[in-house]
Amino acid sequence: MAGVPAVRISIESACEKQVQEVGLDGSETYLQPLSMSQNLARLAQRIDFSQGSGSEEDEPGSAGRAWAEPGEAEDEEGLVKFQPSLWPWDSVRNNLRSALTEMCVLYDVLSIVKDKKFMTLDPVVQDPLPQKQNPQFLQLISKKKSLAGAAQILLKGAERLSKSVAENQENKRQRDFNSELLRLRQHWKLRKVGDKILGDLSYRSAGSLFLHHGTFEVIKNTDIDLDKKIPEDYCPLDVQIPSDLEGSAYIKVSIQKQAPDIGDLGTVNLFKRPMPKSKPGSPHWQTKLETAQNVLLCKEIFAQLSREAVQIKSQIPHIVVKNQIISQPFPGLQLSISLCHSSNDKKSQKSASEKQNPEDHLYVLEHNLHQLIRECHKQTLSSTVMPHPASAPFGHKRMRLAGPQAFDKNDISSLQANEGLLEKIIKQAKHIFLRRRTARTIDSLASRIEDPQIQAHWSNINDVYESSVKVLITSQGYEQICKSIQLQLNIGVEQIRVVHRDGRVITLSHQEQELQDFLLSQMSQHQVHAVQQLAKVMGWHVLSFSNHVGLGPVESIGNASAITVASPNGDYAISVRNGPESGSKVMVQFPRSQCKDLPKGDVLQDNKWNHLRGPFKEVQWNKMEGRNFVYKMELLMAALTPC
Amino acid sequence: MEAPPVTMMPITGGTINMMEYLLQGSILDQSLESLLHRLRGLCDNMEPETFLDHEMVFLLKGQQASPFVLRARRAMDKSGMPWHLRYLGQPEIGDKNRHALVRNCVDIATSDNLTDFLVEMGFRVDHEFMAKGHVFRKGIMKIMVYKIFRILMPGNTESTEPLSLSYLVELNVVAPAGQDIVSDDMRNFAEQLKPLVHLEKIDPKRLM
Repeated sequence: MAGVPAVRISIESACEKQVQEVGLDGSETYLQPLSMSQNLARLAQRIDFSQGSGSEEDEPGSAGRAWAEPGEAEDEEGLVKFQPSLWPWDSVRNNLRSALTEMCVLYDVLSIVKDKKFMTLDPVVQDPLPQKQNPQFLQLISKKKSLAGAAQILLKGAERLSKSVAENQENKRQRDFNSELLRLRQHWKLRKVGDKILGDLSYRSAGSLFLHHGTFEVIKNTDIDLDKKIPEDYCPLDVQIPSDLEGSAYIKVSIQKQAPDIGDLGTVNLFKRPMPKSKPGSPHWQTKLETAQNVLLCKEIFAQLSREAVQIKSQIPHIVVKNQIISQPFPGLQLSISLCHSSNDKKSQKSASEKQNPEDHLYVLEHNLHQLIRECHKQTLSSTVMPHPASAPFGHKRMRLAGPQAFDKNDISSLQANEGLLEKIIKQAKHIFLRRRTARTIDSLASRIEDPQIQAHWSNINDVYESSVKVLITSQGYEQICKSIQLQLNIGVEQIRVVHRDGRVITLSHQEQELQDFLLSQMSQHQVHAVQQLAKVMGWHVLSFSNHVGLGPVESIGNASAITVASPNGDYAISVRNGPESGSKVMVQFPRSQCKDLPKGDVLQDNKWNHLRGPFKEVQWNKMEGRNFVYKMELLMAALTPC
Repeated sequence: MEAPPVTMMPITGGTINMMEYLLQGSILDQSLESLLHRLRGLCDNMEPETFLDHEMVFLLKGQQASPFVLRARRAMDKSGMPWHLRYLGQPEIGDKNRHALVRNCVDIATSDNLTDFLVEMGFRVDHEFMAKGHVFRKGIMKIMVYKIFRILMPGNTESTEPLSLSYLVELNVVAPAGQDIVSDDMRNFAEQLKPLVHLEKIDPKRLM
């Protein structure tokens, strides 16, 4: 090809204008090219407005068709469908389409509204925000803001204040602890051991020899919750007492008639007194300590008593069982001393509710036991006097004098003779029992026997081992003239001494019957004495008087007494015999002249013999009028006295 | 000359074999009040008591090298109290475990003609002095704070003069032999008196 000369080929573009027709002469008539507007119209014609733009349901179908029938791909419609986004004037089309839609909607709405069947159009309410109120509104907002600022400042201040108050309280509590501790120190012995503060509950400094250490611990109670309300009885100082001294205790002393079953011993009297209702919260340390100290003292008393009960040899041995000491002061009588210690736990409180029998508790003896142990303490304190000269050993002064003054055995043993607590309390119990029984005897006699009356005047102030009562026997209405029997009863430990008005002294034993018999015989004597006194007042003469008649039936109690009185003119005589058991027998002697039934003897012919006394006749005393013996006697005397 | 009728050995056995445990110290006059105050707080709750004693020391020289010493003491401020005759043995310092000086001791209460009796026996007065001070008690411990007065004229207890410007402080316990445990209590008590006064085991032999 290289040898061939290059041929110039001119290439010209195809005819710009479409050939409309080729004439027979070959001339071509060209179609005039489309003007711009024509072109636009042509393009616009090609737009299919009914075709949904981008509607997806059409796309796959059309695509599938496109792929299935590629022959049709040349089809112009198919081409357009296939590239919807390539439509000419696509945006114009879209806008127009949406405008159409809007118009359609508007049309629908208008038609509906026009109908006024389904929808009406109302003017929309204007937002009520008048321009006039605006300044006030602004003011309000600004005020609100400033107020909020002020409140915040106040709140901050309040918080700071409350914080400082709490701090102050904390400090105060600290100070309170110290001041409480100071107060504690004024009443109790304290010492510091390590970082603990220990106190002494025991009575050792008062002379007690009890071995219990009696130590309590002082606790600082300052760490309580600050947020919570502080209870009113809050105290920054608390004490911890030994567990065996907790609760409350007392010594129960009682006298019982019969010995209970031995199986009951020691448990009967436990926990009898119910706990006093304690206020909620912990009690103050002072009360706590005092209670604990009381428990300690009770324990000491009981320990001392039990020790003595075991040591002392008595005819009837004392029994110590558990918390009870039993002794027999008199036959058939038992004195029981028990230590009742109730702790705070529920169990003991439950048992406290049963078997309440407080009346046999002798409070006097309980009190006296406390007094005795304190005396004991005092003795131990006072016995340990300082030696003089100072180099001498400790000890009792009299013991030290024993050598130089050559004491004999009796002197020395008298130094050591020391009545124990138990002996003392038994003596006191005996006395109390004897006094009670005497009172009961007198009272029962007074209520049983109305005539004569018996009055007892007890002295208010007694010794622990002796008390006295004055017994008066009178007749009602005649107290002034019948004062013959006045007895002074001195009640001791084992016996009763009776001092008569005339100075006679009679000693009665502790037996109840003796006193009763004695009083009965005194009452019977009283009646005769009363007749004697009455005779004096009525002007009768006492012919004979005897306190102890040797004649007649024998009385089981004492002796009968008798009196014979004669009327003022001597015509009548009344003879009374009164025995404690047989009662009274009253006889009246009539003058001989009044006795019709007397056989006229031959011997006494003369008139003067009529002045002789006649026979006695017994008065049916229970049929006599009068409320008591002396009154009846007065009536009788009055009846026999001529006017 | 015959052998002295008294043996040098103390009587042993029975209850007589007692030991005295002793701690001593000294305090100046101006500090006395604070020491007494402290003792009142520490000791048993008793009225503080003062004493004024007259002590005479008797010697009996025998064949042995050291004489036999007896101390006769009487209270001047209280009447009716017996004299006190005391024998004190040789003090033993002991080791560190024992915190007090220990010496044998025999205490006897006697009548007031003791001096005549002792002189008759052959004793003679070595020296005499007055002791005036305060006595306290805590349990079995006895605390004496006293000043010693020299007697200017022998036999005349009226004219005296103080020996020094300080008070002697003695803490002693008389206990049966072998109860060294009491010395612990004494040491504890002495600790509580510090620093007012330091009570120590003082060996009299070293001072001579």
